Amino acid sequence: MRWIIRLDECLAWLSRLCGWIACLAMILMAANVFYDVVARYAFNDVSIALQEMEWHLYSVVFLLGIPYALRTDGHVRVDVFYTNWSQKRKAWTNLIGAILFVIPFAYLIANYGYSYAVDAYQMGEGSGDPGGLPHRWVIKSVIPVSAFFMGTAGLNMVTYAIRVLAGDRQYEGEHSAGGLA
Amino acid sequence: QDKFTLRLAETWGPNFPIFGDTTKRFAETVNKMSDGRLTVRIDSANKHKAPLGVFDMVKAGQYDMGHSASYYWKGKVPETLFFTSMPFGMNAMEQYAWFYHGGGMELMQEVYGPHNMLSFPGGNTGVQMGGWFRKEIKSLDDLKGLKMRIPGFAGEVFAEVGVNPTNIAPGELYTALERNTIDAVEWVGPALDLRLGFQQIADYYYTGWHEPATELQFLINKRVWDRLPADLQEIMRVAMRTASYDMLVHSQHANAEAWANIKQEYPNVQIKRFPDDIFQAMYEANKKLLKEAASESEMAAKIIDSQQNYLEQSRAYSDISERAYLNTMAEVE
Amino acid sequence: MIGMIMFGVALVMLMFGFPVAFTFGGVALFFGIYAEGMDLFAFMPFRIMSVMQNTVLMAVPLFIFMGVVLQRTRLAEQLLTSMGRLFGGLPGGLAISTILVGALLAASTGVVGASVVAMGLISLPVMLAHKYDKRLATGTICASGTLGQIVPPSIILIILGDVLGLPVGDLFKAAVMPGVVLIGLYILYILILTRFKPETAPAMPADDSISRGKEIRDALLTIIPPLALIVVVLGSIFTGIATPTESSALGGVGAVVLALIYRQFSFKMVWGAAKDTVSVTAMVFAILIGATAFSMVFSYTGGDYLLEEWLMMLPGEQWGFIILAMLVILILGFFIDFVEISFIIVPILAPVAEAMGINMLWFAILIAMNLQTSFLTPPFGFSLFYLKGVAPPDVRTTDIYKGILPFILIQILVLALIVIFPEWFGMSATY
Ligand code: NA
Ligand code: NA
Repeated sequence: MRWIIRLDECLAWLSRLCGWIACLAMILMAANVFYDVVARYAFNDVSIALQEMEWHLYSVVFLLGIPYALRTDGHVRVDVFYTNWSQKRKAWTNLIGAILFVIPFAYLIANYGYSYAVDAYQMGEGSGDPGGLPHRWVIKSVIPVSAFFMGTAGLNMVTYAIRVLAGDRQYEGEHSAGGLA
Repeated sequence: QDKFTLRLAETWGPNFPIFGDTTKRFAETVNKMSDGRLTVRIDSANKHKAPLGVFDMVKAGQYDMGHSASYYWKGKVPETLFFTSMPFGMNAMEQYAWFYHGGGMELMQEVYGPHNMLSFPGGNTGVQMGGWFRKEIKSLDDLKGLKMRIPGFAGEVFAEVGVNPTNIAPGELYTALERNTIDAVEWVGPALDLRLGFQQIADYYYTGWHEPATELQFLINKRVWDRLPADLQEIMRVAMRTASYDMLVHSQHANAEAWANIKQEYPNVQIKRFPDDIFQAMYEANKKLLKEAASESEMAAKIIDSQQNYLEQSRAYSDISERAYLNTMAEVE
Repeated sequence: MIGMIMFGVALVMLMFGFPVAFTFGGVALFFGIYAEGMDLFAFMPFRIMSVMQNTVLMAVPLFIFMGVVLQRTRLAEQLLTSMGRLFGGLPGGLAISTILVGALLAASTGVVGASVVAMGLISLPVMLAHKYDKRLATGTICASGTLGQIVPPSIILIILGDVLGLPVGDLFKAAVMPGVVLIGLYILYILILTRFKPETAPAMPADDSISRGKEIRDALLTIIPPLALIVVVLGSIFTGIATPTESSALGGVGAVVLALIYRQFSFKMVWGAAKDTVSVTAMVFAILIGATAFSMVFSYTGGDYLLEEWLMMLPGEQWGFIILAMLVILILGFFIDFVEISFIIVPILAPVAEAMGINMLWFAILIAMNLQTSFLTPPFGFSLFYLKGVAPPDVRTTDIYKGILPFILIQILVLALIVIFPEWFGMSATY
């Protein structure tokens, strides 16, 4: 049990790290888009590289946000029955769901996403537009990276469910509503 | 006898006129000519959701073939740029002559070969219009700082003369132009432009120079191609070639019809040509950019060289045939 | 047939309460591997990449950010409260203000997820604090947050313009009247409901310590700054200073500036807002990714062809066709998302409609109104998920399902009105 707790906390830390990066990307993205609008009028300047940076940052926001939201239970559930279930039953649902759905799904995306990014790297792919960003493999590799952390977050659901089953933790305090104000 | 089914991914959405009709005609021809031995199943962008992933999907074998445009892959393989259409380059007839008789096809296979694919001409739009402008362009100064949706190499040429090429999602183009988020937009030609409604919000429709003969492409995975028996390969070749020809004449027909419509229903629309000083500046910029491209890759240099030599020779004849005829007609009328 | 079975299985699986996004993805995974093999999922990176490069969807996190900042500075709360005050002691005043604010958001963006989530964050807590019926509160928010799909600019209209070959500008113009009528009927519904059941939407308590005149003056003063922000967002779009996506960034930065002016600004506040934004954005896009895996398996196992076959059997006359087409879209809207319907079903219906001499502009508006309804219909209505994601835990899914019902009926009523009396909306049924 002790190593389960330790593993659980390590995995949780990974998801929080994803969240931290996503938050940073979020603020940078707002600033980036804002700057691009202002620059267009104030300096009559349009930079394709900065315009592309917008969607690069936006991709990081939602791709790394997904594992983070898995840890904070921010993902929507149809809770017609779920809310009224016992801790044990919730734990089993999350444990089985994570093993059957999250981890295999993450594995497939990571696997194919990896070849996708490697392909871009080998071709030296960059933007097709004048002045666009080079090194497309960087942003493409966010797909397998996100999937990898989705996998660890799925594993984290398992470890957390085990803790709940052992009576060490409860689900209530972890509800998304807390994180969403 | 063995039956074959090829899955084709196209960059266009379902029922996209002219472009989409080309793949449909191709599939129909192949099926009839092979007496049902070869079937082509077309997946439009709504199904594969990766309009600009056609190159990768065909390369990896997820699709057997694709229908797209070569210049979309410029970010992956810079030399693919040259097989669609170049600013101040050949017109459709000249370019087809280059592909089929002037060595263009061989150069194209040389570029696509390392990526395990074959590429064939896939239909032509003819001369694309130079774009919709909300204000008249009277001099080079009017272009300075102008925000225009114009992608690719032509965008780079425009950038050299002071335009700010801008990326706008196609869905937002109309609104962006209407509300002056951008000042000008380049799309295709009357038939397809009419659908987006630019004629309602921009008065100046400029004649083209940047894509005088936009050629689409059929991409085929090489392993798939090699598996086909020789007779089916030949059927494919013929079907691709007729589908391409069909698209060129279909473009001519649909554009003429759409232009007649615009003239009648939107008398506000005026056809304009950029002033000479702008063309001079862009022509120089184009030359400079081509020189840069040639210095970066041997293959690019080889293609540019082939195209320029061919253009020179072919144009000399176009001048005394097509151009002379059109000029005569213009005078007689 | 596999696609149809998959629908059924997904529906049952969702009831277990496991996160929706991964239930979609997981069910798709099993059926996909069974029917087509693992390599089908090699398409997933491409589909995810398409979402990444969809700059229109970029407005989702940005508008959420604007909503969260507004909420954290309590300015939105004051706006809604003040607007409630402006309607005096009128019962239902908060709901009406919500609808009006929703209409303003709708006019600045076509992104439903952002609107519903922003409204859910801004006005749900206020309504609940003032003892509103949970069902009425959530129904009002879902319905007004979804207005964005019919009130221009709208993604549905842009996609339909593309599929049907209609100028988007014409579609935008044609959609204005139906949008206005819909908003009017929502407000009318609140007025009628509160007349007969005043306890569902209590009036704001009157404050006797200040005069009516001062109350109105104070209310107007609190309304000005947030309204100015909305004007910046709307104005930047309407004057063309920015695209809808860019305007959402202007709105976000504008909200931060307002926080500075009202001394609510701190880096902690901005970081907190970013954290909330990331959570909600992740929830929205996880559903999008799960749904894209799902629709991928559905169409690659031939579900789209089967649907086409079924639709080909529709009977031929104009009115029969319109009614059946609308029913089909409505029913499919319960299960699959509007993009799928726009790209798969509409191209099948369009040539039939055109051959019958039906005015395609009118037809497009009918479809748009109908698709907007699909955002609200249980069990898969996206707006319902989005709102559930930001609602406090004691608001249950069943509350939202029940709350949205009257608004769905109003939408169907407006749809019927456009079908029967197109001239009221400045259109005609035929050319
Ligand atoms: Na073009
Ligand atoms: Na809207």
